[in-house]
Amino acid sequence: MTDAFSLYAARPSGLHRLNPLTTLALVGFCLVAGLALPGPWGPYAVFLLVLLLAAWGQVLPDLLRDALKIALPFAVSVFLIQGLFWTGGTPVVGLGPLSLKREGLLFAAQSTGHILAVVGSFLLLSLTTRPDALMRTLDQRGLPKALTYVVLATIQIAPRFQAKANTILDAQRSRGLETEGGVRQRVRALLPLVVPLILGSLIDIEERAMSLEARGFSRTGEKTSLLVLPDSAAQRIARWLLLVGMVAVVAAALTLGSR
Amino acid sequence: MTSTPDLAAVSLQRLTYTYPATDRPALDDITLDIPAGQFCAVVGRNGAGKSTLCYTVAGFVPHFYHGALAGGLRVAGVDVPAASLAALAGRVGLVFANPFNQITGARFTVREEVAFGLENLGVPRPEMSARIDEVLALAGLTGLADRSPYALSGGQQQRLAIASVIVMRPQVLVLDEPTSQLDPVGTREVFEALHRLARSGGAAAETTVVLAEHKLEWIAVYADRVIVLDRGRIVRDGPPAEVLADPALADYGLTPTRYTAAARLAAGRGLVFVDRPLPVTLEQAITYFEDKRLSENPLGPVSDRAPGSVGDRPEQFLDRF
Repeated sequence: MTDAFSLYAARPSGLHRLNPLTTLALVGFCLVAGLALPGPWGPYAVFLLVLLLAAWGQVLPDLLRDALKIALPFAVSVFLIQGLFWTGGTPVVGLGPLSLKREGLLFAAQSTGHILAVVGSFLLLSLTTRPDALMRTLDQRGLPKALTYVVLATIQIAPRFQAKANTILDAQRSRGLETEGGVRQRVRALLPLVVPLILGSLIDIEERAMSLEARGFSRTGEKTSLLVLPDSAAQRIARWLLLVGMVAVVAAALTLGSR
Repeated sequence: MTSTPDLAAVSLQRLTYTYPATDRPALDDITLDIPAGQFCAVVGRNGAGKSTLCYTVAGFVPHFYHGALAGGLRVAGVDVPAASLAALAGRVGLVFANPFNQITGARFTVREEVAFGLENLGVPRPEMSARIDEVLALAGLTGLADRSPYALSGGQQQRLAIASVIVMRPQVLVLDEPTSQLDPVGTREVFEALHRLARSGGAAAETTVVLAEHKLEWIAVYADRVIVLDRGRIVRDGPPAEVLADPALADYGLTPTRYTAAARLAAGRGLVFVDRPLPVTLEQAITYFEDKRLSENPLGPVSDRAPGSVGDRPEQFLDRF
């Protein structure tokens, strides 16, 4: 059983050793550039950049595999639908009564490029950044602690929640609950599953809140961290440059687009 | 016990508490002083008020549950009703029955989980590391420090929960049925770890322990004092040997330990002519049944029997029936 809903893959790479905020800026830059650069080939250039970064982070195979898994079904359907049903385009390949249109294919290529750039960026962040380190950095920068807590707790507690749902389902089945059959049957079976799950979770939440309180969660004043988050002047400068880069890319895209 | 009552770590003065939307008080006119360093067990049937007493000592009554509180309540030198929960964090620790709910979910290793409270208290990093190492060793979790807290067994998780609270060096540690969801092995490990942690948790003074618990046999071994609650009132208060051997225990929905039961059975059949108090632990039971006055009993003198034969263990003795 996995311990958390997290893709993080520990590797001894330079990218892994970066401050999470630097990785976040890097990924943010890729994301913005991937969406803003003019198509159809701009987003692919960004995806290439993501792949190079993934190679640096020693997660290239993981990233490629996951990115294709997500993007491939989308790509197939968008190429077929846009290619075949683009109105008034130039036919490239005839398929009986239908034909693939040039404009449709270009549009599909651009959409797929956007998807690849976005998915690739998110995967790069997930694969190379510990979620707790990232959240810790963010709450040190003033993001509300309750918010970062919710993100982290969800990552770890969601799998337990799933396990609990399965336990309840098994218990109800052993008492004769029919969970298979038609839609009506399935909907009827939902109630005996959901009610214990929700009620049980409400009780859990109360205890969890008390436990957190007893360990000083809402205590104000200076806090420390066991986790050391390395940072350097170079990384700070890099972050600013990436931020400037993001603005520049957006500005360039806007000027190009308005011409 | 070196403290005087006015230096009590926990002090309840004529305290009455009623939960919101209920009529009957959960705690009814309770006056209780627990000196610093004492290991105080709270027993009673379900609904007697054990958990409420725990929550009160930890400050969650009235700060979390609201409701009507009357009377005085001082814990670890803090006037609880006037203070905030955040001010109590670090002075009073609370451990629940369900180990799973006490894991923050926001930390990915056992070590970082233990650090959570220290980080919130702002303890400097080098000191944090030393304290965590010490507590993990006492809790028997050293080898698991880099595991995910969710990858531990129930007993290990509960020891983690206790360690995570003890590491903050609270003056008072409150535990609400910490072993009720554990198997016998997990229970033993938790009690042994609790004993080590509370007696040498690195704190300057010994930790005061308030423990609500159903397993009387463990209380008999580790507690300095036992309080019996019934319908929100204290009905018995004294050392375990005295309280747990009290025949009135049954009136409060409690079953005496098997050692007491065996001794009472033997005495009731006239097989043991001993007028000393009934045993509550295995050790006491052994001395009880081996008492030299047993020689007066119809089974013949203990000394006539070969060592290791009937009479050496209460359960063997009972085989004679």
